[in-house]
Amino acid sequence: MLEQTGFVDVEIGPEWDTFGGAEGEANARTFDVRGYAFVARLPG
Amino acid sequence: MGDLLVDPGVLRDEVRAKYREVATQPQGAFHFHTGRSLAERLDYPAETVDPLPEAVVESFAGVGNPFAPGPLGRGETVVDVGSGGGFDSVVAANQVGPEGRVVGVDMTEEMLDRARATVASLGLGHVEFRAGLAEDLPVPDDWADVVISNGVINLCADKAAVLQEIRRVLRPGGRLQFADIANGRPVPEEARRDIDLWTG
Repeated sequence: MLEQTGFVDVEIGPEWDTFGGAEGEANARTFDVRGYAFVARLPG
Repeated sequence: MGDLLVDPGVLRDEVRAKYREVATQPQGAFHFHTGRSLAERLDYPAETVDPLPEAVVESFAGVGNPFAPGPLGRGETVVDVGSGGGFDSVVAANQVGPEGRVVGVDMTEEMLDRARATVASLGLGHVEFRAGLAEDLPVPDDWADVVISNGVINLCADKAAVLQEIRRVLRPGGRLQFADIANGRPVPEEARRDIDLWTG
């Protein structure tokens, strides 16, 4: 979706176990939901 | 609503209600982590978080660390989409310095109140918070060197519209540096249409 919007140089990571130990952990584990960092640039 | 999985207005109301609670009762029980323990979990450096007063940190409810790929540059102009209680905006403000500028945008009045009080107490004159939606940012075209966001785009029904809006406010060559959640296993369509799962 980032590239479809016109962004380039898309990078993903690092990642985190965002919901580990939280009340919402069960839902997160069901779908393997984790947090990620993303970086993308617009063409200059 | 078109091809969207959920009604954007209904979802916004649900999200506002949830984050109003985080703003006004940050010590409450939520399905996600909050505050300093969350910042530590997400690898915010202690030297970044420890000096900040509790009022800045306690309502932090991000899902990752948008600064992990690299710090922002001195003097950069920044838009924080879904700035919440202002934690990431304050981190950004300290990275860009007084020669930079940070505009936080949020749709929850209680979060805006908290964020404005925070930056006033810290004397951060180069940070301001504006009421608005991620799909309609109150920021001029081509204004930002960088857009940050943390756990917000996943809460928007029309992600393509949000990304188009972010593109509008970024200058050519600018960057989007954000954190958000992604699922490693497919989510059935029935679950994707369950608005309660979007916020819980």
